[in-house]
Amino acid sequence: MLTFSRQEPGRRKQTGNEGIIMTSESIVHFHRMKDMPSSHLLGTGTPMCAGCGGLETLHNMYDILGEKTVFVNAAGCMTLLSVYPFTPFRGGWLYTAMASAPAGAQGVRDAMDILLQKKKLSTEDNMEVVVITGDGSAYGMGLSATSAAMDRNLNFIYLCYDNEGYGNTGQQYSAATPHAAITSTSKGSHGYPGFKKDLFSIWAAHRPAYVATIIGAEPLDLAKKIEKLQTMTGPRMLISLAPCPTGWDYDPKLSVEIGRLAVQTGIWPLKEYSDGKIKHTKIPKQRKPVEDYLKLQGRFKHLFEPQRDEAGIAEIQARIDAYWTRVMA
Amino acid sequence: MKTASRIVGTAFFMTGYEVQDAPRYGAERRGAPIFAYVRADKSPVNERGIIRQPDLVVVADDTLVGMPAAGVMQGIDEHTVLLINSHENADTWRQRLNTAATILILPAREDIKDRAELPYIGSRCAAACAVLTNVISRDVFTSALAEELEQLGEKIVKQNLDTALTSFELMSPYAGIVKQSGLPSAADYQQPGWINLPFDDAAISAPAIHASATSVKVRTGLWRTMRPVINYEKCSGCWWVCSTYCPDGAINVTEAGLPDIDYEHCKGCLVCVAQCPPQAIEAIPEHLAKEQEMSAADPSGIKPPGDSA
Ligand SMILES: Cc1ncc(C[n+]2csc(CCOP(=O)(O)OP(=O)(O)O)c2C)c(N)n1
Ligand code: SF4
Repeated sequence: MLTFSRQEPGRRKQTGNEGIIMTSESIVHFHRMKDMPSSHLLGTGTPMCAGCGGLETLHNMYDILGEKTVFVNAAGCMTLLSVYPFTPFRGGWLYTAMASAPAGAQGVRDAMDILLQKKKLSTEDNMEVVVITGDGSAYGMGLSATSAAMDRNLNFIYLCYDNEGYGNTGQQYSAATPHAAITSTSKGSHGYPGFKKDLFSIWAAHRPAYVATIIGAEPLDLAKKIEKLQTMTGPRMLISLAPCPTGWDYDPKLSVEIGRLAVQTGIWPLKEYSDGKIKHTKIPKQRKPVEDYLKLQGRFKHLFEPQRDEAGIAEIQARIDAYWTRVMA
Repeated sequence: MKTASRIVGTAFFMTGYEVQDAPRYGAERRGAPIFAYVRADKSPVNERGIIRQPDLVVVADDTLVGMPAAGVMQGIDEHTVLLINSHENADTWRQRLNTAATILILPAREDIKDRAELPYIGSRCAAACAVLTNVISRDVFTSALAEELEQLGEKIVKQNLDTALTSFELMSPYAGIVKQSGLPSAADYQQPGWINLPFDDAAISAPAIHASATSVKVRTGLWRTMRPVINYEKCSGCWWVCSTYCPDGAINVTEAGLPDIDYEHCKGCLVCVAQCPPQAIEAIPEHLAKEQEMSAADPSGIKPPGDSA
């Protein structure tokens, strides 16, 4: 299904020239929470779960990117955003197979570039192409297509909302599942035996224009990064940790709390890559113990009940400590 | 409900019946109504699809009865038994629904505030079905429940069974009240009221949406079991907190700079309640909020001050 809708006049003025699209609001500069948009572009009434951390990231990102965007969506929870005849988007949306969203983005970008060249699309009407996929696609099935899109220096934005499993089909483990988490395919007493893949580094190794980690619970950090990537062209890659009440088994009201703890415990480092350099954008001054994050989630319950699994918790903590020791060295 | 239908289906099967059980739900990730159907007969069941004329309808969440999208009352007539899990009594429901069906109440537990948390409701409903149809013995029901919940561990099976068996006692005065109606014959089949559309080319017939943000037509507010209510006397006007954190973007900001919750779409995740710095947002059970709204002459009491809408 394809959605292409006309712009609503006067909502957000945008200027564009081939390839680069900037909203006039990109001059806003986000310094404080107060600078966050007070009206929201993404339509309400979506079928995402109550408390979905992925939706939280998307709606904040969309407010800044604006409506001149074509989303290219691989199969996953977010595919359900646009179920005919309903869509929360104001620009375009296209559905692709799980492994192919970056290839779909290439097609959309090429088509628009050709139309621009032939003057059949005015620079005013040019749109930014945004891939949106879950971690199942980004870390696994779609990694090859993503790698190829970066090789071709495709001018696009990629948002991976990382709920650390195949959410839409019932939270089977993915390459993004963290060590020890219970998933519907890792039900043993110790949870998932593997370790979360470092997609940030894999993406950064392609030397694209931009790579960043974000999270809905830190909207200011998110806004600054979106604002920054709007000034760039080429592949601009985002991974958002997406607390998922359904897959992670917690009360939806804790979504922001859990997201913030992911940053404060250091298990989800907020960082960015550009020009060959990696910068941490929010370094927790005093890292909280990771168990503060783990114990709120049913998927880690076995680390605390019936007995506390000291060794299991210590192992997870040690990996986080080692990461930050490397970063601070 | 899916599990409830499986328990009932398995229990019928163990009793020697031919059985179909199937859940039905939409594409929503969570929160929307879910139905499950069970068909059972001593002879082979050839009928397929949803049950158009149910002998028994069990409603686990009574807030669904009045919701057209849930279609609880579809196909109900004088031969149907309608069992509702509710705080209210059968008379109230009889008056409210004005139906010829037999209405029975499975008393809802008093201590439950949030209906998303109805404990053991599936097992309780399944046990009630067993009694009302009067063909499933207690022993068979016990084995069926144990089989269906086995993977959850012994403790949970026992908790479910203990609670379910109280439904056996509660419903025993009505044992056998559900009467099996004859299976519909193929000759009675009525075609759905389909409209035949002419063949159009892809540009017209492809499911393209040409309007912006049509999702607002979907009232996800119906999902809510708890309602966040802003106390504007406590609200310090820091809208950028709740309006930004609301995953659905369902908190608008008024001209006066105050947050205003869009109850048509708020799904009741309560992130705002957890994040509000002065703790000015309170969660109240949706059914109580609705009752208050209905009894209050002016439901606009929850609008922010200075907002005339
Ligand atoms: C090639 C292929 N395999 C399997 C599926 C079935 N499928 C649909 S959504 C989904 C889960 C996707 O997981 P993820 O990318 O993490 O996104 P999420 O569901 O978590 O949003 C799967 C496996 C599919 N659509 N295509
Ligand atoms: S399963 Fe998780 S990621 Fe998917 S819609 Fe629900 S909360 Fe969001």
